[in-house]
Amino acid sequence: MGRPTSSSSSIDSPNHFAFSSTASSQRDLTTDLRLGLSISIAPPFVREQWPPMKAAVAEEEHECNSSTFYVKVYMEGIPIGRKLDLLAHESYYDLIRTLEHMFHTNIIWAEAEMDRDHYEKYHVLTYEDKEGDWMMVGDVPWEMFLSAVRRLKISKC
Amino acid sequence: MPKRLASSLSDEVLEHVFSFIQSEKDRNVVSAVCKSWYEIERWCRRKIFVGNCYAVSPEMVIRRFPQVRSIELKGKPHFADFNLVPDGWGGYVLPWITEMAGAYPWLDEIRLKRMVVTDESLELIAKSFKDFKVLVLASCEGFSTDGLAAIAASCKNLRELDLRESEVDDSSVHWLSHFPETYTSMVSLNISCLGSGEVSFSALERLVSRCPNLRSLKLNRAVPLDKTANILRLAPQLVEFSACTYSAELRSDVFSNLAGAFSNCKELRSLSGFWDVVPDYLPAIYSVCSRLTSLNLSYATILSPDLIKLVSHCPSLQRLLVLDYIEDSGLEALASNCKDLQELRVFPSDPFDAEPNASLTEQGLVAVSLGCPKLQSVLYFCRRMSNAALVTIAQNRPNLNRFRLCIIEPNTADYLTGEPFDVGFGAIVEHCKDLIRLSLSGLLTDCVFEYIGKYAKKLEMLSVAFAGDSDLGLHHVLSGCESLRKLEIRDCPFGDKALLTNAAKLETMQSLWMSSCSVSFEACKLLSQKMPRLNVEVIDERGPPDSRPENCTVDKLYIYRSVAGPRFDMPPFVWTKDEDLALRLSP
Repeated sequence: MGRPTSSSSSIDSPNHFAFSSTASSQRDLTTDLRLGLSISIAPPFVREQWPPMKAAVAEEEHECNSSTFYVKVYMEGIPIGRKLDLLAHESYYDLIRTLEHMFHTNIIWAEAEMDRDHYEKYHVLTYEDKEGDWMMVGDVPWEMFLSAVRRLKISKC
Repeated sequence: MPKRLASSLSDEVLEHVFSFIQSEKDRNVVSAVCKSWYEIERWCRRKIFVGNCYAVSPEMVIRRFPQVRSIELKGKPHFADFNLVPDGWGGYVLPWITEMAGAYPWLDEIRLKRMVVTDESLELIAKSFKDFKVLVLASCEGFSTDGLAAIAASCKNLRELDLRESEVDDSSVHWLSHFPETYTSMVSLNISCLGSGEVSFSALERLVSRCPNLRSLKLNRAVPLDKTANILRLAPQLVEFSACTYSAELRSDVFSNLAGAFSNCKELRSLSGFWDVVPDYLPAIYSVCSRLTSLNLSYATILSPDLIKLVSHCPSLQRLLVLDYIEDSGLEALASNCKDLQELRVFPSDPFDAEPNASLTEQGLVAVSLGCPKLQSVLYFCRRMSNAALVTIAQNRPNLNRFRLCIIEPNTADYLTGEPFDVGFGAIVEHCKDLIRLSLSGLLTDCVFEYIGKYAKKLEMLSVAFAGDSDLGLHHVLSGCESLRKLEIRDCPFGDKALLTNAAKLETMQSLWMSSCSVSFEACKLLSQKMPRLNVEVIDERGPPDSRPENCTVDKLYIYRSVAGPRFDMPPFVWTKDEDLALRLSP
């Protein structure tokens, strides 16, 4: 008699989201994350392609498995964008550091201090949220940002 | 027919008579009457359907039918939808487009399903067919918004652009803006598969406002609520609409704008989308509900009480797609409110969880089968079932023609008796004499296949997983099901014997898919040698099948009849009997 190659009891990770360290330390946000998270994470079972359902249509540009979350990043004036794994970062500071390095500029975000005399050396970091609005990065808690962000844009001041 | 009579009708008269015969099957019968009818018919056939793009070559189609205007092609086998066909297997449309570009300058409709379409193909379509009208790319991949831009820029008379469930790469080109300002012909636009970056709202609004014949509009998930209302106000004549992302909290100004926009749409009959919908916004659509015939809520995470309220406003519903959040109580409400229901699809909200998160059982389906006399088509995912329920459903609804049941956990038995579902599915095939499509699930022995072979005489497509005990099961199906065209099997203990005994049957079918079964490479080679008009493809990414021990079974097997011979675009992981590796050209 045919048997499935593994049983569903082998799934032990939470099935809607699987950030490694960040989720476990912010339990009060897990409900928001569960409702708000629109990343299509592939649970282990889907690799067995059962039950027979079509893969969720890729409405987002994100590529994601249980430990990466890539988003596109564009800098104003440069047609070719970059991709960045947000889950490889622990916090906004971490992200800003990576972006400043990637794009060779100083980044303005919600908690940045700017030298107003040299604004031409700075770029503003914004993100597109699930509603299509462009928001400044850094106002909401990091985990909430992860559940809302679709892509990033770095614009001139 | 007496020769005198056949020749006394002039060619023009016959051609005129044939023009009333639209169905492919009837046209094929007409062409077989005699040589002169074959000749007349082939010159006036305008529409071609090719269910398997490798069954015939484009050159052969063009040679026989020189004046085609509309073509439909399907590529990968159905199980590709569930990721069972590796990337690169095939299904490339470019060779077809290349040949047709030269032969059919007046081709105006191309419909493709599960094919690999490149930007190059789209650009070739855009520049080769002067009066191009309809492009449907269903579950296709391999192209980007660059290709779409070429179509938008060149196809002045385009009426239909439908990208349903395709995968489109974002090249960041604002392709919608490539429709010239003079373009006004759009009737049906489906871009629901596109990502948020791939659609510009202002270009969309301008396009919608200048296309007065627009009847069907399916937008993607990123269009926010206020934009949705704007677009609806620009196109109150819409018949089909896919509603967009609903925002997080209820705002009364947005709500009344949306409700007002919907109330203008007197022709609206079909709604879908509803991603992330907040139940508080649902009353905005109540004004159109009484006229709705089709509702797709399969992306909506709304719970049973709200679903019941919604469904009770829709007495004309013929088609409902919904998640298992509807629960048995919601299906009972459906059964009492929607007497015109013809098609029901219930999907699992949480397919990978062993425990049910919604109270949906076999009772819901039984209720609908009892209450909805016109129910014909069912796709139902659930976690428990009983033979008694299946027998009741079969007796209530002998008019079912499509019955696809997926009991989520493989090998689940009847929860009341612990028995396999042989008797239950047996009742389905015995009572539902017009059944053309069936999908099995749950614990099943060879007996169910005996019933299917005995009763399912009109069955055209059968899907089987984790079922049966031996080759006898497969043998029953292949020897009994007279109308069988497509058979797809996974994880069943079916092997060489049934396949080789019924080799001739395979040439009467379109295709057979078997994965994780017990077929040996030796048997595949034998079958291939015995049946030259079958293409026997072993799909195995582990390496050459004959490098493994003889009793090792193949991973995946795809057998299909073909008059085109072996194909030349096979990837390295597809193995056939042909030793001549020079036949393998890169696509």
